[in-house]
Amino acid sequence: MNKEITKITILPGINKLGEKENFKKIDIKKGEVVAIVGHTGAGKSQLLYDIERLAQKDTKSKRKILVNDEIPDKELRFNPKRKLIASLAQSMNFFTDMAVGDFLKLHLESRGKKSKKGLIEEVIKEANKITGEAISSKMNLLNLSGGQSRALMVSDVANISVSPIVLIDEIENAGIKKEEAIKILVEEGKIILIVTHDPSLALNTDKRIIIKNGGIVDVLNTSLKEKGIAHYLNWIESFGLDIREKIRKGKKIENVEIYCEPIKSKK
Amino acid sequence: MKFIIFAGTPGSGKTSIIKSIIQELKNDFKLFFAKFDCLQTLDDEKIAKEYKIPAVKKLAGELCPDHYTALEIPKIIKENKDKDIIILETAGLCLRCSPYVEEGLGINVLDITSGDPSRYGPILTEADVVAISKGDLISQAEREIFRAKVLKVNPKAKITEVNGLTGEGAFDIAEFIKESLAVKSEKLTLKHSMPSAICGYCYGNRIIDETESRKRFLAGKELKSLVPNLNCGKCGYKSCNEFIRAVLDGKAQKEKCPFIKKEI
Repeated sequence: MNKEITKITILPGINKLGEKENFKKIDIKKGEVVAIVGHTGAGKSQLLYDIERLAQKDTKSKRKILVNDEIPDKELRFNPKRKLIASLAQSMNFFTDMAVGDFLKLHLESRGKKSKKGLIEEVIKEANKITGEAISSKMNLLNLSGGQSRALMVSDVANISVSPIVLIDEIENAGIKKEEAIKILVEEGKIILIVTHDPSLALNTDKRIIIKNGGIVDVLNTSLKEKGIAHYLNWIESFGLDIREKIRKGKKIENVEIYCEPIKSKK
Repeated sequence: MKFIIFAGTPGSGKTSIIKSIIQELKNDFKLFFAKFDCLQTLDDEKIAKEYKIPAVKKLAGELCPDHYTALEIPKIIKENKDKDIIILETAGLCLRCSPYVEEGLGINVLDITSGDPSRYGPILTEADVVAISKGDLISQAEREIFRAKVLKVNPKAKITEVNGLTGEGAFDIAEFIKESLAVKSEKLTLKHSMPSAICGYCYGNRIIDETESRKRFLAGKELKSLVPNLNCGKCGYKSCNEFIRAVLDGKAQKEKCPFIKKEI
């Protein structure tokens, strides 16, 4: 099955106390951003695991996951070459001793793709939209800063990974433009799940799933007001990021110019 | 009875993931856990206490721990015929030996930060299941590249990612264990012969059996006394030991050695 995944649906299972989850179904469509919130140990990872495995009442939670409104076939569930979820976890650095351009080429090859002309440049260009410090293809991965590494990881997942679902885990302290990062992933038509406690990220979504005691207890559609607040919070943060860059460049910060940008409504 | 061998380098997360798997299986199956190590371990005691299942430790001491494992397997099987699943954890010091058996399930716990998979021997290439650990420490791109490299050296492997801290992946491995075939006879066969050293297995014996191993050892010993032990390479093999193994395996004629002593 090589059909494109345009939608996944979560059907209710049970929580840690064995009680049925109180919702009919949750649809997540291509290009949507969904936050998963709840206390540590509430069961956020179990939900991600269910989605990754395309659970069919055969995991602890007894949830069922549909793909494009259908029960996914075995090939999609168990073929190790088809990994459904690409994740941007907490890792801030690369391990590989290699130039950025060569590494991206290697990643492309490992996916069995031929290096499309210009794609690697495109990945780097997009990464540079997310970080304040420009990355070039000749830089060594090991020498990238935390923010550069993170930006490159995001752009790589958006452009090279074939996984249709992207999981973002606690991206908050990465020193990158978060809003821009999410935008790039959304533009590539991924389904995005964000596990986070960060208000500016959690509110910059289409909906959020609230988890308690191993069960989904609520699904909230993000209101226009909340999106506005997210945008405002992001603005404050990007403001801090600019100052951070100036400090790194050795500049003195003796006065700050605060300017306010009007809220752009989405679509 | 199912016979499951976990192999992986020290610190790869074998014991942690085994614990999560035992948790998944212990209510439905009678389990037994055997931990092999060189000098010291307390894992067997911890697991016995935590999960209330019988467990044993086997310390290789001066012996090669993987050869020692092969020597001990028949005893473990004989003493645990009433069990449904035997889980054996190797010392994991050698990438070359990997005492996986044809009749059981071999699981390699592979630390994603431990370097290029192409430099691993049978511990990876002969595994039925490859459980990649510590994936959360590196980037998605590096994970995908690593995965592709693992499939290149072991295309038949079932690959799953595991996390010893959260127990992620234990469910999948428990499923693989449930699906695996039971051991039919007491005589098991190593998936891969072990490197040359000093016992019957060192001379290439693969049947796990005391008599077979001794027979092979004596035949090897006899040949050993007939070759010059100079590792001159004139026979086409790098060392006399390799040549002896080839003769015993029927792959070479002993006359190939120009210096071999005539038997009396």
